[in-house]
Parts: sequence; structure tokens; C-alpha cells
Amino acid sequence: MTAAVRRLGRDPALLVTVLVLWALLGLFVLFPLARLSWLAFFEGGRLSLGHVWSVLGDPNHRQAFANSLLLAALVGVGGTALGFLFAYTAARAGLGRWWLAALDAATLLPLVSPPFTTAIAMIFSFGPRGLITYHLLGIKGATAYGLHTTLFAETLTYFPIAYLTLRPILAAIDPNVEDMAFSLGSSRWRVFRTVTLPLAVPGFANAFLLLFAASLADFATPLILAGNSFPVLPTQAYLQITGLFDFRGGAVLSFALLVPAAAVYLLQRYWVGRGAYVTVTGKAGPATVIKSVAPWARRLLLAACAAVAVVIGYFYALLFYASVVMAFGANHALTWRHYHVIFTEGLKAIHDTLIIAGVGMPLGGLFGVLVGYLVARRRFPGRRAMELVSMINYALPGTIVGIAYLIAFNSPPLALTGTALIIVACYVFRYSPTGIRATVALLQQIDPSIEEASQGLGARSGMTFRRVTLPLILPAFFAGLGVVFIRSMTAISATIFLVSINWTLITVRILENMTELSLGPAAAFSVLVVAIVFVVMAAISWALRRLRSAGSLQVTSFLGG
Amino acid sequence: MSRARAGLYRLAIAVLTATTLTSPAVAADTLNAYSIWPENWARPMLQEFEQATGIKVNFVRFSSGEALARVIAEKGNPQVDVLFGGPVETFAAGIKEGIFEPYKPPSFGSLPARFKQGEGYWVAIADDPLVFMTNAKFLKEASLKPPASWEDLLNPAYKGMLQMADARTSGTAVTRIFSIIEVNGRNEDKAFDYMKKLRRNVQVYTKSGGGGTLPVGLGQAGGGIFFIVDALDTKAKGYDVVISFPREGIGTSAEAIALLKGAKHPELGKKLIDWATSPAMQSLFAKHKINFVPASPEVKVEPSLAEVLKGAKIFPIDDAYAGANRKRVVDRWISEVLNAKE
Repeated sequence: MTAAVRRLGRDPALLVTVLVLWALLGLFVLFPLARLSWLAFFEGGRLSLGHVWSVLGDPNHRQAFANSLLLAALVGVGGTALGFLFAYTAARAGLGRWWLAALDAATLLPLVSPPFTTAIAMIFSFGPRGLITYHLLGIKGATAYGLHTTLFAETLTYFPIAYLTLRPILAAIDPNVEDMAFSLGSSRWRVFRTVTLPLAVPGFANAFLLLFAASLADFATPLILAGNSFPVLPTQAYLQITGLFDFRGGAVLSFALLVPAAAVYLLQRYWVGRGAYVTVTGKAGPATVIKSVAPWARRLLLAACAAVAVVIGYFYALLFYASVVMAFGANHALTWRHYHVIFTEGLKAIHDTLIIAGVGMPLGGLFGVLVGYLVARRRFPGRRAMELVSMINYALPGTIVGIAYLIAFNSPPLALTGTALIIVACYVFRYSPTGIRATVALLQQIDPSIEEASQGLGARSGMTFRRVTLPLILPAFFAGLGVVFIRSMTAISATIFLVSINWTLITVRILENMTELSLGPAAAFSVLVVAIVFVVMAAISWALRRLRSAGSLQVTSFLGG
Repeated sequence: MSRARAGLYRLAIAVLTATTLTSPAVAADTLNAYSIWPENWARPMLQEFEQATGIKVNFVRFSSGEALARVIAEKGNPQVDVLFGGPVETFAAGIKEGIFEPYKPPSFGSLPARFKQGEGYWVAIADDPLVFMTNAKFLKEASLKPPASWEDLLNPAYKGMLQMADARTSGTAVTRIFSIIEVNGRNEDKAFDYMKKLRRNVQVYTKSGGGGTLPVGLGQAGGGIFFIVDALDTKAKGYDVVISFPREGIGTSAEAIALLKGAKHPELGKKLIDWATSPAMQSLFAKHKINFVPASPEVKVEPSLAEVLKGAKIFPIDDAYAGANRKRVVDRWISEVLNAKE
């Protein structure tokens, strides 16, 4: 430890960076959490656990806890599998540019729309008079509410995170390694099983962790789909606060969620920490033609991806249709009036959302790469703690982050409620962990000797980071950038408490429109969000292709590949 | 542009934006409000207020539970001046939290007792009865008549086909529960027996009061219990739904307005309350096709709304009784009805 402190002293750039990051994490992660803990565990200035016991003693809350774990684990497994299918197809099936673009588009759709829009489309499709269950299959009395639909919607919504995490990793596995196995006489299946899969393990662990955490924190999907028989904790906590005005009970319930999130995190560290996964070294061989996928397997992979894409496409076609008819299900005359409504009455929300997402995106991307780099590559006191703290806001249910921010920043000297800064800060600290995890996973594959060579030649840490490491982890940076922007456009659970008279968001308007029976404007807003995100993403992708330098990893799209 | 200069340029933009973002916009004659009324009703009414007085109302809409939670959380630093619309039990819950500033508008004296809080912590601006709303096609297929009694909703034909609001978030649900207690002669055990039986027919309890109207309109649910404004709006959108009333009677809830303690524009807030509680405002409901029943005795009920209400037995929920028992009854509903194990 003392050696580490001394090293820190010799490297002022590192020292300053670490101090600034800790100050930010302290202010926007630890401080609100401390204010919330105070509310949950203290009564009149004294520690009091009576309230905690009464909340946790309720069998319904314990049931919700078990349900949350089950759902998160299933979403983690299902989403990782689906993400791997897409990532493997993209990285190894030798697809042309257009196929890759189509794959990216299909995975982006669920990611770029607010989760409850998928949920609403599912209710139309799977209920007792659902378009699919009743009108197509003729099933009577089907239920749209419960574990099955919630799991389906969350898996479809979150698997793109696994895709974003896994694709750069699969792309970074040097095909030469697979070639070596082939030349030693291995079959394709054996190579896949013993070479490719094990090399992707850090990616699997990260993807699972991210999906597990995302599902644990998601309240919008279960709020609409879980129904009465499958309560989950984030929804319970939300209802406890908004419905019963019980901030304390809601805070206790959300602390219960921190336990599994921390457990999964530690498990992942242990699991990934065991092996060596370096494949990108300074001495990489010449590029090779990928031959790890047989022609029949390639067709199978494409068919599976296409099937998933068709399901996604159907949901969004339904959404688009609802935005251009007078009243879905009652009056199917075509109209533009819903778009007219959102561009007049909803203009302020569009304007505010774009400013907030635009400011949050670069900040969040930079923050993710910086923290990821420091955690994976540098030695300094409190490194592990920084990694853990940076994940907290992601793992906590958004509702709780929102309430914690509201409580912490409502009074001087930090009276930030009502400003856009509070929403930007919420997004940056809540959604940059994807960038952090992607950076860490990528760096685990890059041989530190490249950086050591730079430092051996006399470059300082800042210079080495800028000139050597940053280009190498650019895919992770853009993955992080993309996720922060997308979430800024689509998230709701935390920000529903942070929007104000001065700053309002499209997602909040969508939820309001849905509860007001104005399905048309809600669908029109959703279509607009999807369109904006696609345009911005295409612009980043184009810029990145133009700027790409020869030494960096191949970046085929803004999502990092 | 060199790399370092590009970086500086970006930093400058970030700092500039950050400083502008932290300073909220302020205008001279503007007041701020949280509206519990949905936007498509609040917007035209508040625009009428702006035309009448020149005062602009800056507002955001939240459902009653969310709005109340926000106002409580913002107590030390209120972001708005007025809480506008929403069932009276939400306001009753707020009085205990000390978030309101009492104010009696000029029309206070002429309002019936159930449309105002004695000390002026809230004043009613409209009345909103509950109704049964069913899907016409569903009724036909199941050969059912529109439900005309609370007992009709227990018919097994409705099994898993009713949607209504969750009492944890929705004022509609609380009004419904007190209606059921009232028709059972305030015999709570009897009322809860009924609600437990009713639960078998409930597909899902929705977060907001109007949440089930669209599923009922689409036929995804067969029917439910809603406020009349939501039900008539569903019908106006073109969905084939039937509105009916139970012969035993059904409750109605007043919609209220209140001034917040520590409001930054109290004088403007009072002007809004003066206007919202006046006959001038409530006679505009009909013009904007908003199916609230006016609270002011001077405003006549719009003829087509009066036609729907004709013959219906509607009783007010006793707000003193509801206020005193609300938390206990909702807790009981959560443990005995919502989380019932069968």
C-alpha cells in the first residue's frame, strides 16, 4: 500500500485524476446514498433497525425479493445467450456490410425505446384478445401478465447490452489463434468450444453482470407486465414511495437489492480473475480469413438472428402503426395528427431531452473509459473501492436513485433540483458503468507490455493513456458513449423524480400519455426517439470511420466491433 | 485544429452549457403548478386562465401519488406554487404532511361543505363519480347485460377479465374501496369479503386510475371501475364501451386545488385558485368536452353528461371518515385483497 501511495505521489496526473473522480463519485453516488441510508436506518438521529425488520419481515416483500432474483438470473442467462448469438454471428460469420448494419439496427431497436413501449406492444399481442394469442392463434383466456411476459420483454430489451459487450471481445480474439487450433487438426466445434468460448469468458461474465443488474433495477417493465401474481422489488419500492408515501420502506426495499447486486459483482471478479485472456499483443501475426464457422452453421446463425429480428420488427411495426392511426383498435383511419401534437405541445420535452442527452453523452463516455482504465490498469489505493462505487448507481433501482437525488440535492448548498444538471449527473453516473465494464473487459485482452513499452520510452501516464491506450479502447469508449446517449433518451425510472417545471423529458411524456389514454402521441413520441437515436448513432459511426487511425482496433461501427 | 485545442474547445462548451443548465428560467408573470389532471384537460383550462388574466401557468402532470410524493420531498424548497386537480383524499393526506397553505377564495362561502376543507387547505373545483365501464363486444359474446349491481361483477363470466386501479398509487382505487364500504353499510368485514371475491375476476390492478380504460376499450379486458371522465373519454375516442351504474349506489370524489406552503408566487397562485373555483372556469368544462361535474352550484351540468348521470345513484365519499381510515383500509386491502393467497 505504501508503495502504491508513493507511486501515486510520483505521478501527479494520476493523482489529480483519481482525486477528481473520487470527488465526483462522492458527490453524486455516495452522498445521495448516505442521505437515503440516514432516512432508512436512523430515527431521530439514532440507529434504528425496527423499521427494517418490519419491512423485511413481510412475506410479500420476501416473495418479491425471490421473484426479483429469479427474474434477474433468467434475464441474465437468456440475454447473454441471445447477445452472444448476435455477437458471434457479427464477428465470425463473415457478413457483408449491409448484413452487419441490419444486425446492428435490429439490436438497437429495443435499446433505443423506452422499455414500457415494448411492454405495451406485448399487452396488445398476448392478452385475452391479443393480436397473436387470440386473433392469430385463437387461444382464449391467455394472460399477458406474469413472469413469462416480463422475462420475454426484459430479455428482448436488454440483450443488446450483452451484444455490445461481447462483440468487441469476440472481434478482438485474433482469428490466428483459431487458425492454430485448426492446423493442429481440431474440428470447428472443438475450436469453438475450447478456444473461442473460453476466450470470451470475461465477456460472458460482464454481460451477465450487466443484464442481471439491469433487470434488478428495471421497474417499468414489471410495472406494466408483472401483474399481481409476480411482484418484484423495484416495483414494490416504487409503489411504496409513490403510493404509500413511505420513503423509508422504499429505501429499505432498495437496500435489499444491493445485496444480490454486490454478490454477483464479487462472483464475477473471482471468475474472470482466474485465467489469462490476452490475445491482442504487440506481436500479432498477419490478418487471416475467418474460417471458424461452417457454411451450414452460418446459415443457421443467420436464420436464428433473423427470427429474433422479425419479432423485434413486429413490435415496432405495431408501435409505428399506433402512431399513424386515429385511435388504435377503434378507428384505423390514417392521420398525422399525433405527430402534429408532439411537435407543438411536446416540443419543449423534445428540446430538453436533446440538450440533456447531448451534454451527458460525452461526459458519460469519457467518465466510463477513465474509470475503466484506472481500475483495470493502474495501481493506486482504493482501486477496488472505486470500481465498486462506480457500479452502485447502476445496480440500484432507478426509482431509488431518483428519490435519493431528490432528497440530497433539494436544499442549499447543493440545491440542484429543478436544474438540468441533476438529470445529466444522474445519467452520467447511472449509465457509464456499461462503458466501464466494456473498457475493463477489453483491457483484459490487451497485453500491458504495449503500455509498458510506451512508459519505458519515457512517456508519462497521461501521454501513454492518450496515445496508446485510448486508441486501443476506442471501441469501448464508443460503446459507453452510445449507451449513455441511448439511456438519456429512453430512461425513466430515476428521472421521473428529477424532471421539473424547467426541464422535462420525452419518456415522462410518453408514460403520461399512456396513462391518459393518448396512445397515439405516446407512440409518435416513441417513434421520434427511435429516429433521433438512429440518426445520431449513424453520425457518430460516420465520424468514427473518418477519424479511424491505422493503429487502432478495427471499428466497423460506432458500437465498437 | 490541434488535438489539445480541440479538447479545450470542447471543455469550454461543456462549462458554458453546465452554467446555463444550472440557472432555471424565470419569467415575471408566471406561476408553476403540478397538475394531477391529465394534460389534455389541464392544458386547455390553464390556457383559458392565461387568456382571462394574462398570467402564464407553467405545469407538469403527475398521477396523484407521484405528485404528492414530490411535493413532500420538495418541502424545504418548493418548485411549484399550486397543486392542481386530483381526488380530494390526496389533498387530505397532504394536510398532515404540512405542505399546504390555507387559502379561502371568494367562492368559498357558496360552496357546499363537502367541496371545501374547513380551514381552506383545499377547495374543490369539480366532482367526479365512479362508473362501471364494460366492452360492448365482450358483453355480447358472453351474453351479459351491462352490470347494474355490484353483485353482477362477481359473475364467473368476468373471471380474469376486469381491470381496476391499485390502491397503493391511485386515488380512483381508494374512492372505489370507500364506495364498497359505504354500500355495505360501513361493515368493513362484509366489504372486504366482497372485494376478495371480486379479486378472482380481476386480471390486473393498474398503477393509474385510467390505466385499464384502453385494455377495456380494446377488449383485452371485459370491464372495470373508473372515474366518469376517463370512461367518457374512452367512449369519445371511438371505443365501443358501455357505461353503467350499480343500483346500490357508487361513490364520487371531489377534485381539488391547493396552495403550497412556501410558494414562490403565492399571489399568482391565489389568483389561479380564485379562478379555478369560480363558476367562470367550471362553465368551460363543456366547451372543452371535459366530463367533470362542476363543483360550483351555480354551473349547470352539461346536458349529455346529465343524460348519462340520469337515474344513477351517486353518493359522496365522507372525506372526514375516509381521511381518518384511509391508511388502515389501504393496508388492509394490500394484505387481504391484493396479496390474497388462494
